[in-house]
This record gives sequence, structure tokens and C-alpha cells, in this order.
Amino acid sequence: MTASGTLVLDNGASLLKAGLASHKDPLVMPNAIMKAKSERRRPFIGNQIDECRDASGLFYILGFQKGYLVNWDVQKTVWDHVFGKDCLGLNLSRLNVVVTEPFFNFRSVQEAMSEMMFEEYDVAGLLRANAGDLCVAAEPARPDNLCCLLVDAGYSFTHVVPYIQGKKRREAIRRIDVGGKVLTNHLKEIISYRQLHVMDETYVMNQLKEDCCFVSQDWRRDMKQAALPPADNPILRHYVLPDFTSLRRGYMKPRDSAAAPAAEGEQLIRLTNERFSVPELLFHPSDVGIQQMGIPEAIVEAVSACPPETWPHLYRNIRLVGGSSRFPGFRDRVYAEVRALAPDELPVKVTQPEDSVTCAWRAGAKLAGESRFSSRLVTRAQWEEHGFNICLDTFDV
Amino acid sequence: MPAAMGSRVRAASYVVLDEAARRRRQRKALEALELDNFHDDPHANLVMHKKAPKFDESLDGKTRPDRKRKARSFEYFKQRFRKTFSSLLEEEQQLEPDPPNYTSAAARPSARPERHLCAVCGFPSTYTCVQCGTRYCSARCLHTHQDTRCLKWTS
Repeated sequence: MTASGTLVLDNGASLLKAGLASHKDPLVMPNAIMKAKSERRRPFIGNQIDECRDASGLFYILGFQKGYLVNWDVQKTVWDHVFGKDCLGLNLSRLNVVVTEPFFNFRSVQEAMSEMMFEEYDVAGLLRANAGDLCVAAEPARPDNLCCLLVDAGYSFTHVVPYIQGKKRREAIRRIDVGGKVLTNHLKEIISYRQLHVMDETYVMNQLKEDCCFVSQDWRRDMKQAALPPADNPILRHYVLPDFTSLRRGYMKPRDSAAAPAAEGEQLIRLTNERFSVPELLFHPSDVGIQQMGIPEAIVEAVSACPPETWPHLYRNIRLVGGSSRFPGFRDRVYAEVRALAPDELPVKVTQPEDSVTCAWRAGAKLAGESRFSSRLVTRAQWEEHGFNICLDTFDV
Repeated sequence: MPAAMGSRVRAASYVVLDEAARRRRQRKALEALELDNFHDDPHANLVMHKKAPKFDESLDGKTRPDRKRKARSFEYFKQRFRKTFSSLLEEEQQLEPDPPNYTSAAARPSARPERHLCAVCGFPSTYTCVQCGTRYCSARCLHTHQDTRCLKWTS
């Protein structure tokens, strides 16, 4: 029963990245079932949302809650769509599957995942791993990356994970409960209070957040500049909301038209300090009342929890992955703050891959082609003989 | 009338929220940040055709013809694994009570002081509403706050 290929499935709470390891790019789609007000006959699963004409007031049904997979109905529906003939068109019984899980995944969820894969989808072999583990394992070993400090800024939370010689140090992992979801909800709240009621418009507001928000390098200075009158204000922008008849996707108007009035029928949202105070939550969760430290402080804490001889190696190999790390200015800000907090004699280097969202998928695809891959799998024969215990021994989740 | 209210005359019942009520409101606000949706399911009470008999509702309101055949294996999963996050977390805490675990990985409060932002305009604030504790930056923002949100939806 040898497998004929490997499916890599980066199962995120917001986006699902799936594809055969031999493919160049994964299929990226929302890992949710969405219901539209206008289209009452059917819900939209994953990338079917592109077929929806009116995406206002979209109702999201997510399988994940607080970052962990709790609703298997929803997840199986989405997976059936992804593996079905509309998307990848695969029969999993001939494939090995690499699937990702969040850090500290609950035992019962791990069991459910293993059972779902082997019993329901009948896979030939399974590898469950944390997305971060894949990213680190795919890097070729060089003298300057013996250790790696990975910051995975996702939808539900942000993890800071030190890896020492390729293995994560569990007692040093830190989790900040701020992710893309909190950022989008906060943005919705402040815009709803100040301008226009958008609490129902998660889809549109998420696009606004991705189009307009950036990470400030100097919060005080940007706050002062955002308060200036329109002519001198470098931060003020207007965002044109989609009306789903003539305009299907919103866009940010360029700076020089900030003073120009709105065109016929355009709904504008005026953005000043929201543009940088929303991503600022990743650095100061206390701004919104979450009593936790931000990413730079968590990096320092995570490193301090590791043996002192690893500190130089960790500080000079900080990697930022995950969708919420894509804000412009994120890397520079993390570097500046960590440089200020870390000991002066240690070098600090912060890097970001080209595509933070698909980084883990690409790492999984690369790993699937290597010779050490088969030793990390649990095959169907092993599952049938030993059950879940073999997963506990083989996987380091 | 206390001088702090300026020229605005308030109702005879002058309510000031105490610490416990303020904490409750803060917690509610934090919980609201974790929600997936703020409105109800638009497909919740769909009537397909008034003469159609009502069977058990499935996820999208339709009954699939092959449901009976797959019913056992998939229903089995639904029964076993339908749990809320908090019950899963409790279970996990019993299985792994010692660190490192999910609970011990949570980041601790920051060493830096909190920054206070005006609830109305988002710029840095220096004043606090006497009654409900919300931050504001100027008299104009205070008036907006009193007209719209102050003590509305008190818990």
C-alpha cells in the first residue's frame, strides 16, 4: 500500500492552504462556511465565496474556536469541498497527508484529527506537525541557524516559539491572544462607533484592514501627525466601500485625492489613527484591555527561558511568519523594539519569508520530498496495529 | 449638581458605576472581540416551500440523499466530538496539569504602563468619565460619549 504522492494541508483557523507536494503553489481559501443574505439557497464553502455576488453581511461559520478545532461538521464539509472535484479532486487513500495543528493542541483534538484522517479519509500515511515546525525543518542547516526564534502571527493568536537545533523548547513558548480576528473586530468596533455601522461586515473590513493598515515605527509621532488638518496629514486616507453592484471590492484612495469630495454614490470611510492603532495591538494588547505583553516583550521572555548559551543564536535568527505579519513596517518595528530590549552585545536579525501565509505549506511540500520524510510518518498499517499511541510516540506536537 | 458636569443637566438619578460593574463591562468588551459574528444567521428560519414537510434540519437546511448510508460513521463523529472550547480546555487541563501546557504558555502582563486612548476618537486621552470610567480626550469627545454610550447597556 505505498502512497503515490503527498498532500500538504496547512489547516489554519482563517485560511486553509492545500495542495499536492508536487504542485508549485497551494490552493488558498477561507477555512469556513459562509452564508450570504442575498443568496439564500446555498451556503458558500471555502473559495466558493468568489462566486458570491453580494458579500455584504456575510455570516461566518468557523470550525475553529480560539484557535483550536472544535467543530468537525464544519471542518469536514470544507475538507470534502477541497478534496472534491471542484478543487483538488483527490482520493486520499493513495496519498500521504501532512496536516498542521496549533501549538499545544488538545489531546482530544489530536485524537479526533488522527481518527478523522485514518478512518474517514482512509489516508495511506499521516504526519501531524505544528506549522512552525515545518517552517524551521525546511531550512537547510547553516552555522548561523542552529537555533531559530519563530513568531507565528495568525488569526486566533500569536505564538513566539524558540527552536534549539530544530526542536521546539516547549517551556519557552509564549502565546499572545491577539490575532487577525481581534484586529478585525477592533477595527469594526471603532469604525462602527465613529462613522458607519459595519459590525456585520467581517469580509469587507478584513479587506480594509489588509489594504490600509500599517505598523507605525513611532507611535507618538504618528498620533500627532494623524491629528493634523487634511492638507498636512500624511496618514489620512479615504477608503471606498464596495457596493457589490458596480464595485465588488473596496480600495484605498491615493493620498492626493484626500481633499477631493466623494464621487457619485461612493461610500467613504475616513481613516486616520485607525490605520496604525489597529496593528499596534500586536505590540500593546493593553491598548484594548488585554492584559498581556506584546510581541517584542514576548520574544525577550521566550529567549530568556532558554539556556543562556543559545541566546546569541536565537536573537540573530528571528523569523516572522503568519498572515498577521504581513502589515507594512512589521519587520522593522519588531527589529527596532527587540534591539532596544535585547542585551547590547548580542546581534539581532529579524527576517520574513516572501510569503508569510504559504510559508508553512511550502516547507511541508519541501519536506515531503526528502528522504527523512518517511521515517516521520505514521502509516495505515501502524495505525491499525497500535492506534493513537503510535501518534503520541511519533509526532512532536 | 457637581461642578464637573459643566452646563449639561443630567437626570435626577446620578449613577456612578463601581469597580465591579466597570470590570464586568470590560470583560464583556473583551468577549465581544472574540466573536465570529455580530449578527444572526441569515439562513436560520428559512421556509423553503410552505407545503414541504419539516425534517431534521442539517447544516444548510437540505437533506442529502446519501445521509442514511454514511449516517453511522459521520454521526458517530458528530456525537463524540461536538464539544465547546471551554469543555475541551477543562479536559486538557486535567490531562496535562503541569507546565509546559496551554495555560502556562499564555503571555503575562506587560511591564510597560498602559496607554489610554480616547474611546471616541482614538487619540491619546488624559481624562476619564466620572460615571462609567471610559477615557476621553476633550470636551467635545466627552459630550459625544455622554450622548451616545455613557451608561447605555448597563449590565
